Amino acid sequence: MLRLLSVLSALAFAPAALADDKRVDFARDVLPILSDKCFQCHGPDEKTRRADLRLDIKEEALKPPVVVVGKAAESELVKRLAPEDPKELMPPPKSNKKLSAAEIATLKAWIDQGAAWGQHWAFVKPVRPAVPDVRDARFPIKNPIDAFVSQRLAREKLAPQPEADKERLIRRVTLDLTGLPPTLGEVDAFLKDDTPTAYEAVVERLLKSPRYGERMAWDWLDAARYADSNGYQGDGERTMWPWRDWVVRAFNDNVPYDRFTVEQIAGDLLPNATKEQALATGFNRNHMINGEGGRIAEENRVEYVFDQAETVGTVWLGLTFTCSRCHDHKFDPLSKRDYFRLFAYFNQSPVNGGGGSGQQPPVIEVGTPEQEQKRRAAQSALDDLVLKVTPVEQRLREAAAKGKDGKPEALLPQPVDAALRKGPGDRTDPNFDELAKHFKNAEPEYVKLLAEVRRAKQARDAAAQSVPKVMVMADLLQPRETFMYTRGDYQKKEGKVVPGTPAVFGAGPWLPAVRETRLDLARWIVSPDNPLTARVTVNRFWQTFFGTGLVKTSEDFGVQGERPSHPELLDWLAVEFVEAKWDVKHLVRLIVTSAAYRRSAVVTAELRERDPDNRLLARGPRYRLPAWAIRDQALAASGLLTPTVGGPPVKPYQPAGIWEEATFGNKRYQQDKGEALYRRSLYVFWRRIVGPTMFFDAASRQTCSVKSTTTNTPLHALATLNDPTYVEAARALAQLVMEQGGATDAERAAFAYRRATCRKPSESQVKILVSAVEKQRSIFAADKSAAAKLLKVGESPRNEKLDATDHAALTVVCLTLLNLDEVLNK
Amino acid sequence: MHPAHERALLLSRRHFFGRTATGIGTAALASLMARDASAAPKRVGGLPGLPHFAPKAKRVIYLFQNGAPTHVDLFDYKPELTKRKGEQIPDSVVKGARFSTMTGGQAVRPCLPNITKFAQHGKSGAWVSDFLPHTAGIADDCCFVKSLYTTQVNHAPAICFFLTGAEMPGRPSLGAWLTYGLGTETEELPGFVAMTSRDKEASCGQIFYDFYWGSGFLPTKFQGVKFRGQGDPVLYLSNPDGQSRESRRAALDDLSKLNDLTLKEFGDPETATRMSQYEMAYRMQTSVPELTDFSKEPQKVLDMYGPDVKRQGSFAFNCLMARRLVERGTRFVQLLHAGWDQHRNLNTQLKIQCQDTDAPSAALVKDLKRLGLLDDTLVIWGGEFGRTPFLQGDIKDVKSWGRDHHPYVFTVWMAGGGIKPGTSYGESDDFGFAPAKDPVHVHDFQATVLHLLGIDHEKLTFRFQGRDFRLTDVHGHVVKDILA
Repeated sequence: MLRLLSVLSALAFAPAALADDKRVDFARDVLPILSDKCFQCHGPDEKTRRADLRLDIKEEALKPPVVVVGKAAESELVKRLAPEDPKELMPPPKSNKKLSAAEIATLKAWIDQGAAWGQHWAFVKPVRPAVPDVRDARFPIKNPIDAFVSQRLAREKLAPQPEADKERLIRRVTLDLTGLPPTLGEVDAFLKDDTPTAYEAVVERLLKSPRYGERMAWDWLDAARYADSNGYQGDGERTMWPWRDWVVRAFNDNVPYDRFTVEQIAGDLLPNATKEQALATGFNRNHMINGEGGRIAEENRVEYVFDQAETVGTVWLGLTFTCSRCHDHKFDPLSKRDYFRLFAYFNQSPVNGGGGSGQQPPVIEVGTPEQEQKRRAAQSALDDLVLKVTPVEQRLREAAAKGKDGKPEALLPQPVDAALRKGPGDRTDPNFDELAKHFKNAEPEYVKLLAEVRRAKQARDAAAQSVPKVMVMADLLQPRETFMYTRGDYQKKEGKVVPGTPAVFGAGPWLPAVRETRLDLARWIVSPDNPLTARVTVNRFWQTFFGTGLVKTSEDFGVQGERPSHPELLDWLAVEFVEAKWDVKHLVRLIVTSAAYRRSAVVTAELRERDPDNRLLARGPRYRLPAWAIRDQALAASGLLTPTVGGPPVKPYQPAGIWEEATFGNKRYQQDKGEALYRRSLYVFWRRIVGPTMFFDAASRQTCSVKSTTTNTPLHALATLNDPTYVEAARALAQLVMEQGGATDAERAAFAYRRATCRKPSESQVKILVSAVEKQRSIFAADKSAAAKLLKVGESPRNEKLDATDHAALTVVCLTLLNLDEVLNK
Repeated sequence: MHPAHERALLLSRRHFFGRTATGIGTAALASLMARDASAAPKRVGGLPGLPHFAPKAKRVIYLFQNGAPTHVDLFDYKPELTKRKGEQIPDSVVKGARFSTMTGGQAVRPCLPNITKFAQHGKSGAWVSDFLPHTAGIADDCCFVKSLYTTQVNHAPAICFFLTGAEMPGRPSLGAWLTYGLGTETEELPGFVAMTSRDKEASCGQIFYDFYWGSGFLPTKFQGVKFRGQGDPVLYLSNPDGQSRESRRAALDDLSKLNDLTLKEFGDPETATRMSQYEMAYRMQTSVPELTDFSKEPQKVLDMYGPDVKRQGSFAFNCLMARRLVERGTRFVQLLHAGWDQHRNLNTQLKIQCQDTDAPSAALVKDLKRLGLLDDTLVIWGGEFGRTPFLQGDIKDVKSWGRDHHPYVFTVWMAGGGIKPGTSYGESDDFGFAPAKDPVHVHDFQATVLHLLGIDHEKLTFRFQGRDFRLTDVHGHVVKDILA
């Protein structure tokens, strides 16, 4: 269970280093040291501040004798790092923090050079840097990304790898943009196309594919902690999937990212908000819901709002607000007040925290077109009958009203009268029963008609019931007051706050006199003046394609986050993104058409040593696919994949008893049948307390996650070798091989290899595969019943005409192919 | 190691050594190779510099009692409750403490005495209820910590707090921290295993959330591997129907040959790691069934664990599994057993619950002792909080007597692994309501467990979102007085 790369990365990669630039830059070189080693006791948090000393504010830090500008030797800040009296040592040994010699040298140099002060880089609005003019034949330049990347490589004296071969390139970009491998037809077409823009044409085709939205949606669902159940005890189901489909549509329609943002945070508050815009706000309601008995509703409610505020903080601002829930942030200039001002935007929902329903209002009903159609049809059938029955009932009531002896309605018992007074579509079952009983003898025709009305009403109700209810946002008319809580405890209220953005970014220009809403927050987030949103976003897309962001800590752009590996490139992309009107496909296109992305992934000895994590981008990205993509790829390679887009979640194969064991038998897994088994992973039902077992290394979908981990364990090998999903895919692939792959073992091996890897095999690979087929054939020839059993795995039908021994042998070989390192990696 | 795999690794080793004189590639591969050469018990993974000091315990078995066992009926004998039976518990004791909504609104809070008899046991004279005769029998091996307290009043947050140091999911659990820091001592089995069981009556609806053994922000390879209570203990362990071991072996050999070509072409160390992981998966396919095969256990030993020991998924079965796991080098075994949440069934269910858990828990300690493993194996028994010394329900309705959640004081026992045996630590007040002496916070408890494993709880940290996180947050003191 080793993961080599993670251990190595720290050693080999250092962001833009001091070496070739002796001038100390405060934000780049000094602030990280102060933040990491000093702010714990001398930073923004008032409660833990010692000696009344702040090193996070210029006026305080640069006061002699703390810092004597120009004279490091006289500055207390420096003296304390190596004092004569060990008791004066800073940071104190108890803190487990220690400055390295290089760090001390940096602080000294900074003071000697004049102690220039500055702000954390990510809090300063990005300015488009000039694109470096790299004219060097060794560095191919496809677009400005390459100019920045090449400049750094040239400085490091590293030569980039050549472009990847065409088969690998089309596989890489197709997997990255659609989450599926290219078809062999697509590969062939690309191989044949030798026009200079052949690759760009592939990219355009992929960006238009409906598969693109499905692929991009996955990462967003992780960030949005999307699931199909509530989590916690009970773990009741919810129907948020229309929101999931909204995300897929938004990516496919290339909704500009600013609109994408505003609609999800505050679509409900837009003037004349459409249903789609309200649906988008489901983003905020994807948090867990706790229905545990004994829970206090207000405690739940506050937890939900915490989650909403923190998720927005991480996803859009790349800031970790969580710390400030209890105290001022130790490192970033985010006060507890800032936290609760952000909290206040979300604290206006009518949700009270009680109950465990996954359809807690405010909700909107969003049916599929078929569901809506069914409901409309049921409603109009009911309406027709109501038109028919109303005059009859009118007559009955009038007859009763005439009554006898001038006593109106004397003939109608009270329950019957009450039922009649209700609209036929609103009646309850007891209402119908009363009427039927009362008029059974006197008005048999009416009773017959009434029974029809009742059936139509039930059909209408059932149709309405089947339409999913999506939890969305709405604000109370009367604003709820927001207080800061002591140590985040909802029972301990401190001072009152109003909604507002963090003070460090300056007061927004918007509506100072008016109480701000989520819509103001959303607009501030996407305002061109916001220093974080565009950087955080382009960095996450970069991470999607290269595995690691330009800022490795994609969840933290604060002072403690990692510096960007290519700061100018990050800023250039951020400004380009905003100026291109937040055009996501434009950004994606820039990244995947860059020479940096297109390079071969071969790791030379030099690169392995100097840049094991490929932060300098001398080679192309190559790392294990996420488990969901491995499954989708197997379904595609085997021809089993069902291409249906959207709709309610599906339940494919899962070992027996997983849900039952986790829920004490309360939840039973009802595996689907037929096509549902072969839908894309995106549509697999996600039970929050026990996620789908087929997805290893997956986000928990319990809280926001913007970065996934890739580990390498034997449990993953067991899954892709033994899960019926893969065994069945191998069987179906083997069948294709036998039906279409030629007659000889060599031809079949080559065909199978190509379906699995999108590449033509080498001779030595074919040789290994042919001998593998022969070996497996002899094993299964000796045990026919084993072959029969293996071929029964999975529910898709098998071509019974095929020889079972051959088919079983090829199934094992195809399963081997689906487990190749080359197949598991992109 | 299988010859084909050995060859593959050798090839790859040559491949690296051939091209790089020194440096990272070599170092990484060398460490990969070293695992196969070193003498037993070999450590797999872990951080350099850990343990920080010589550990007393090398491994942990945590018998987590989900639902919160009632301290005043089992370990914390309070004659005062008997004296004041039915009387309102004084406000001066309660001091406005918060309770769950189940009794939060209850105005009457009558003292409820222990529902069964207590006696002192062993040389140490520890008080143990007669519902737990076997635990009483190991009293001289245990240290009863009677002054634990927590800040959480509901199950999931309280369990999460105990096991991860925070009430909200998202932090690494104790076992994840340990395997991250110390690695493990087995290549054939996971370093961190979680197993769950529940009372036979299924009296409560609590759920075992996977974040109880999660890895939080640590890489997911550190999360506990949940052994299942039915079918294959490890997911996807068995070959598909119809694929023999011979066929699988042949397939893995071919896979290895093909992957070796890839390794040569790309030079990615992850490919070499993947090849060794597939081999480990293959080994697990025999080591796990061997682990669950109790047929070679002496009948005497099986009897000790009680009649349920052969029923997969029972607490007794899991206890014996825990012993077999730590014997084979697993670092941390976390059992969770639910059914202690007696809100309304104290008089009907507690006794059964004790019968199910008492013998297996004691048997585990005795069994470890028999095998000489108790000295460096820490066994922990306890829940997420205690239960109220006052009644939940109607005092006239004896059958529905219950106790509500009580975070303010409760008892946990520990044995082996550097714990002072035959002792009690801390005291609650006369009502069993709050600590009267030597209170132990959950973070103190966690700091102490880490200390026993040779870890300074303030130094085992992981940077996430710009902050160095640790199990004990920013708190925790080692309880030195319970260390042997």
